[in-house]
Amino acid sequence: MLLSVKQLKIWFRNSDQPIKAVDDIHFEIDRGETFCLVGESGSGKSITALSIMRLLPQVALDTQSGEILFQTGEEEVIDLASLAEVEMRQVRGGRIAMIFQEPMSSLNPVFTIGEQILEAVKLHFPKLTESQAWERVMHSLHEVQLPDPETRVHSYPHQLSGGQRQRVMIAMAMACEPDLLIADEPTTALDVTVQGEILRLMKALQQRTGMAILFITHDFGVVSKIADRVAVMQRGKLVEVGETRQIIHRPVHQYTQSLIAALPENLARSQSHQTLNDQPPFIKLSQLEIHFPVRKGLFRRVVDKVRAVDGVDLDISKGQILALVGESGSGKTTLGRGILRLTEPTSGEVVFDNTDITNLSRSQLRRFRHNMQIIFQDPISSLNPRLSIASILTEPMKVHGMGESREERLELARELLQQVQMEEAALWRYPHEFSGGQRQRIGIARALSLKPSFIVCDEITSALDVSVQAEILKMLLELRRLYNLTLLFITHNIGVVEYVSDRTAVMYRGKIVEQGFTADIVNRPQHAYTQQLISAVPRVVF
Amino acid sequence: MSKCQRQNYWRRILGHTFIRWGARLGLVWVGILSLISVFAPFLASSFPLLLSEQGEWYSPAMVYLQPMDVLLLIAFVSLLILLPWHLTLARKLMIFLALLGGGGLATYMVISPPKLVIYEQYRVAEQQGAYDWVIYAPIPYSPKDYQRDRGDTGLEAPLSQQQRHHWFGTEQNGADVLSRMIYASRIALGIGFIATSIAMVIGVIVGGLMGYFSGVVDILGMRLMEVFEAVPTLFLLLTFVAFFGRSLYIMMVIIGITSWPGYARYVRAEFLRLRKQDFVQAAEAAGLPLFSILFRHMLPNGMGPVLVAASFGVASAILAEATLSFLGLGLVDDPSWGEMLNQAVQSSRFNWWMAAFPGGAIFLTVFAYNLIGESLRDAIDPYLSKSN
Repeated sequence: MLLSVKQLKIWFRNSDQPIKAVDDIHFEIDRGETFCLVGESGSGKSITALSIMRLLPQVALDTQSGEILFQTGEEEVIDLASLAEVEMRQVRGGRIAMIFQEPMSSLNPVFTIGEQILEAVKLHFPKLTESQAWERVMHSLHEVQLPDPETRVHSYPHQLSGGQRQRVMIAMAMACEPDLLIADEPTTALDVTVQGEILRLMKALQQRTGMAILFITHDFGVVSKIADRVAVMQRGKLVEVGETRQIIHRPVHQYTQSLIAALPENLARSQSHQTLNDQPPFIKLSQLEIHFPVRKGLFRRVVDKVRAVDGVDLDISKGQILALVGESGSGKTTLGRGILRLTEPTSGEVVFDNTDITNLSRSQLRRFRHNMQIIFQDPISSLNPRLSIASILTEPMKVHGMGESREERLELARELLQQVQMEEAALWRYPHEFSGGQRQRIGIARALSLKPSFIVCDEITSALDVSVQAEILKMLLELRRLYNLTLLFITHNIGVVEYVSDRTAVMYRGKIVEQGFTADIVNRPQHAYTQQLISAVPRVVF
Repeated sequence: MSKCQRQNYWRRILGHTFIRWGARLGLVWVGILSLISVFAPFLASSFPLLLSEQGEWYSPAMVYLQPMDVLLLIAFVSLLILLPWHLTLARKLMIFLALLGGGGLATYMVISPPKLVIYEQYRVAEQQGAYDWVIYAPIPYSPKDYQRDRGDTGLEAPLSQQQRHHWFGTEQNGADVLSRMIYASRIALGIGFIATSIAMVIGVIVGGLMGYFSGVVDILGMRLMEVFEAVPTLFLLLTFVAFFGRSLYIMMVIIGITSWPGYARYVRAEFLRLRKQDFVQAAEAAGLPLFSILFRHMLPNGMGPVLVAASFGVASAILAEATLSFLGLGLVDDPSWGEMLNQAVQSSRFNWWMAAFPGGAIFLTVFAYNLIGESLRDAIDPYLSKSN
């Protein structure tokens, strides 16, 4: 056993009652194995990892109990939970290394990446000479397959892409040859294709060095790709530990079963909403372009432009759900907002139910707005924190003359809340009193309050846990059926695309490279980029 | 959901602010000052509050009440009535301003105190035994009750005379220092509130438009702000005093219109940030009118830094007025703390009581506003509120 955690408990004291962040957990990690800790947000996975590194605030350390045994030599075992801070510093980085979710904020922006890795190397191998240490830095950068490491070693973190930064973080962790690598959601902030590369890299490094990996994630696709053994956490407790195949195929614990069942791949398919192809398009984009000027110099002259959306033709039929997939920076969100004219299109036209909305004046557009709505990704910033739910829902109705009186509008708002499966009492509360999933429901209710025919759903489930995501998606499909809504569903999650959409369009660098029926796109991608994207998606193999 | 969460944002922020003892002390001091300035005519007056002349009751203090005194009382009472009501802040403000405007017009038309004021009148009559009984204010001297002919100079140290109790002594014309200080608190509070309100209104409107529209509007607004920031307030005030004579209102307006760029900068920065927030985009997508987006959805979310700046702004407006009065450019006859400091220096010898008491009052008031501002800043800071 390399690491064995015994009866670990960590409590946080919050005003009066303590919160059991980690509640009496046991697990063991062998040399050379990948151990995945899975759970929804707030289940205590990160806290467990941080407590192994002893990086928790003092308040939490005071309440911590239990043992974290770490094997250092043949027979030698130390308890990290009671180790002196000076010795702990030797273990950190040297024996146990950690990489984080956000590679930008984990690297110091004012030093080159070479300097940062060099510092870590020198700290743990003080006997090395300057040139030997430098050699080690270069070696580790070669190992993580950073392209052109001889020149990249002198660059600053902001000059690298997200995937390259994560490679640098891994290089830094590997430079000191740790026995255990703790990876806290290392690929969550990355695009799927980059995620695939990073996962492959970690697997390869592990085979070469024989280190153990404690991998924390919420994504079962990643789990099935990388893990040897899996532990499932729920509210601070470890509910199930086992081999990856067993957990995914034959989960024993009820909670694990519900998690697996909530994966979009496993949700019961509704009868696919077949729409005839020769139906006239409800929304028609032709040669839509949205460019952002790049201004420089004293007179703010336009020196260049970013072609966020670069000539898009797209038809959406009435009652259809069109999924728009693509990597970050491909222009999906800009396109979604451009259709609603929340971002002004540079050229091209958007025809909405036979009305060309690109030529509407400001006041005409304002009156037209109730036909088309948007739901946002971030449930925190999408609701005005200063307004009660009642005013959030009724103000748009009032402006568009829906409902005769305040009472009538409140009644409509109550109906809306019922439809998104929330209690009426929520009307008089403020957004901060709700959880992420509840806020997203309120966001949907707000979009529905004007009885629109078209809604742009911009990554609406990517900030949510899988079980909440499943509920929201089911509800959305039900609402679509009820109101015959047309949806533009922007997402990067192929599983969600398969579950929810009728047609799919793949976007790459501002252009639509492929579109068609979802089943065709997912199973028989034609374009090279689509093929790459689909194959990179980590899927649970059933 | 626990109970403490079921409050709106401002209540939470104010709760966080006034949980700190510094802010509480500051608030208590400002509260005491406000009470004193509202009830000044009943605290310090040469006219008896109530007297009985041959069995008939009579209140000279009420008869000699100035329109301004009545207006302040109206404002105070309407605030007391409005505060416990469950209304939105904007509606409360509207009702308050309407009451104030109506009340102001009415009082200036209806109330006309006697033009001729003889402060000695009641004291002499009392000594002659004309009244059955007399109730005086706690400080039985009006601020302009000059008693020059008492001694050589009129200057008396605190409590130096047996027969007359001047708690804080008298100035060179023989007027009671404490009484003058009580009336001067009106000027200090008034100039702080009104000058800052003028600056805030201009700053919020200009900054808001700059932040929302950005582009050309932003560039023009920035240049306008730089013009106003380049004007030195004190010299502008001196010039205006030289041309238009001394007026409290001109002072308020000038301090107001030279200090708005600070607020505008804060509001602009906040609006630039909020502009990209999803909830503002949602409001726009719902087709809400511009007015609602700006003042209902964006402004309340961007007011935090402005309020912090405002509480420091009040302090600096008070200091500006004190400086001007100290230089002898303040009001001619009305007492002000700065002018009293000036008097302390001007007479042949240094009279400590005329420096210490008004100086202390300026210090405490500015300090109180700074304490409140500092607490408010801490309470609004998202990093601090996350950790507790």
